[in-house]
Amino acid sequence: MTLEYAYYPGCAAKQIQREADWAARAVCQELGIGLLAMPRASCCGAVSLRETKPAFALAVAARILSEAEAMGKDLVTICNTCLQTLTHANYRLSNEPELLEKINAVLAESGVRPYGGTIKVRHLLWVVTDLVDSRTLKAKITHPLKGLRVAAFLGCHSIRPEEIFNHASNTNEGPHLERLIQLMGGVAVDYVGKDRCCGFHVMLSDKHEVHTMAAKNCLSAKDAGAQVMITPCTLCDMIMGSVQPIAEKTVQRTINLPEMNFAQLLGLTMGISKERLGISRLHIDPVPVLSSIGLA
Amino acid sequence: MTSQTYTFRIQRNMPGQVGTVQSHWQEYKVEAEPNTTILTLLETIKGGQDGTLTFRQSCRSAICGSCAINIGGRTRLACKTHVGAVAKDGVVEISPQKNQPVLRDLAIDIRPFFSRVHGIKPYLQDGPERAGKVTSTAYDQVNHVTQCIMCGCCYSECTMAEVNPKFIGPAALAKAFRFVSDPREGLKTERLQDLASPNGIWSCTRCTLCVDVCPKEVAPMEAIVKLRTRGLNKGINTSAGAKHALAFHTDIKQTGQLNEFTLMMRTLGIVGSLMETGMAIHLAKKGKIPSPFPHSVTGVDELRRMYESLERSPIDVETKAKEAVPE
Ligand code: SF4
Ligand code: SF4
Ligand code: FES
Repeated sequence: MTLEYAYYPGCAAKQIQREADWAARAVCQELGIGLLAMPRASCCGAVSLRETKPAFALAVAARILSEAEAMGKDLVTICNTCLQTLTHANYRLSNEPELLEKINAVLAESGVRPYGGTIKVRHLLWVVTDLVDSRTLKAKITHPLKGLRVAAFLGCHSIRPEEIFNHASNTNEGPHLERLIQLMGGVAVDYVGKDRCCGFHVMLSDKHEVHTMAAKNCLSAKDAGAQVMITPCTLCDMIMGSVQPIAEKTVQRTINLPEMNFAQLLGLTMGISKERLGISRLHIDPVPVLSSIGLA
Repeated sequence: MTSQTYTFRIQRNMPGQVGTVQSHWQEYKVEAEPNTTILTLLETIKGGQDGTLTFRQSCRSAICGSCAINIGGRTRLACKTHVGAVAKDGVVEISPQKNQPVLRDLAIDIRPFFSRVHGIKPYLQDGPERAGKVTSTAYDQVNHVTQCIMCGCCYSECTMAEVNPKFIGPAALAKAFRFVSDPREGLKTERLQDLASPNGIWSCTRCTLCVDVCPKEVAPMEAIVKLRTRGLNKGINTSAGAKHALAFHTDIKQTGQLNEFTLMMRTLGIVGSLMETGMAIHLAKKGKIPSPFPHSVTGVDELRRMYESLERSPIDVETKAKEAVPE
């Protein structure tokens, strides 16, 4: 079975968090997952657009979904907020026929192909853990984590609201990110805070609070014995990475917990080079920890 | 269904010197079927094993909101939660609600929570915006949030309340939305202005936890999203949060992409952005300062046309509550 998707990396992976995009592409190349470019796809608008212009937000999402539909591919993303925004819109557009009709009228009038409601929105993490054959995946993991203690920071927008994510993320087997850590040969550290908020969306308005949040979550993981933290989200990456050194000052404690995107750690276990995965762009250097298990 | 033995690991809290509580964990064994409620089993323990165990309860029917406690890592109603659904390897961990002062064992001081609710003026006020006529759909939005039983589950889990005790919080904001959307309310704009102050609607992190923990499907965050929309529509847009949100459609119309460089400038202004240098320096060190000129996506003119079409003839896409049917 060939896996091919319309690839929607999101604005952060195109600008500040480019390393997540590099890692996603490198990992997919190894696993034979095709990531097809979406040249027309715009920013999803996040929750913000839903607040300022609710109807435009749905139209923008429908236009993105329609592009994937025209390509005949389901959509795959590496940003939790894009995932939630597009899943939320898709959920409404597929369940409210009248709404879909109204939004499609706006699309048609503006020269955009109407959306037929047939596309599934997925996180690349789900594709890797659920749809790639686990034997194939295991065979590619040539540099396992040898019991490295990894904190999974799940990120709000790939698990909530349950109403729209039920089918995808609340399986009895536990969160995708923790299952992936086990598949890579690591130990998923259980800690309070793993399903809480990084604070990205109030980063500019409630700065001090965001520092406290980042510090709390990272310290909790660290105190539970985590040696590195991974997230499935470019926005969580940005906070847990670049804010962590500032947060240390706020709480007056050293944290120093290397944080990276899940695809970067997965890439390392597959023997992909640090350069291709952008490891040097991380804010807290993971090399000392990783070299202890021969990974870097 | 067959019964089995469950272990209840309960956090016991005793008031110590002024403002302090001494905590320890105590274990109890109870025999139960998986669909027995946690509240029934707490009563079994209190009645048969330890009369000193303190918790609140009243209606036993998920109506009064008094039995909200932290069960298995989530704040839930003890009377609505089945033991089988929350036990992990036969163990159920129970502690008081978070973000509120603990009085004894599982009972918390609910006053901080209610002071936020009272703070939003939970009553109709007379004023110029009072509607003279009430249409059949006028309560669509009001109905959305009147299910709230003030149990505090959402406030206990709220990620912003955890780090900022001044945050108004999900339940009080949902309540505020109930009044903002009531046709009989006379001071809607004034309310929206107050709610846009610091620690108000723009401080919600959008973590969506309140939506998932609410036992009554109030979806407080959805109410907060709608309050923001209502406020912006009235031109209440001076807070950093509002400016940040407004950046999105401007960017999408212009290039189709979010411009992370100007986003910062617009949200905080020049001075604010400079104060943000703490973070900027860390980003710059890693060569991560975004380009001020992102490429336009293909077909950006389509986005502009969609935007203009909706400005000319707006469509109402708000989710509506189901019609309330008296029981
Ligand atoms: S979505 Fe907002 S109000 Fe709800 S729990 Fe999160 S921060 Fe609190
Ligand atoms: S909104 Fe829901 S969780 Fe919050 S107090 Fe009301 S009923 Fe309880
Ligand atoms: S006892 Fe009233 S809500 Fe549970």
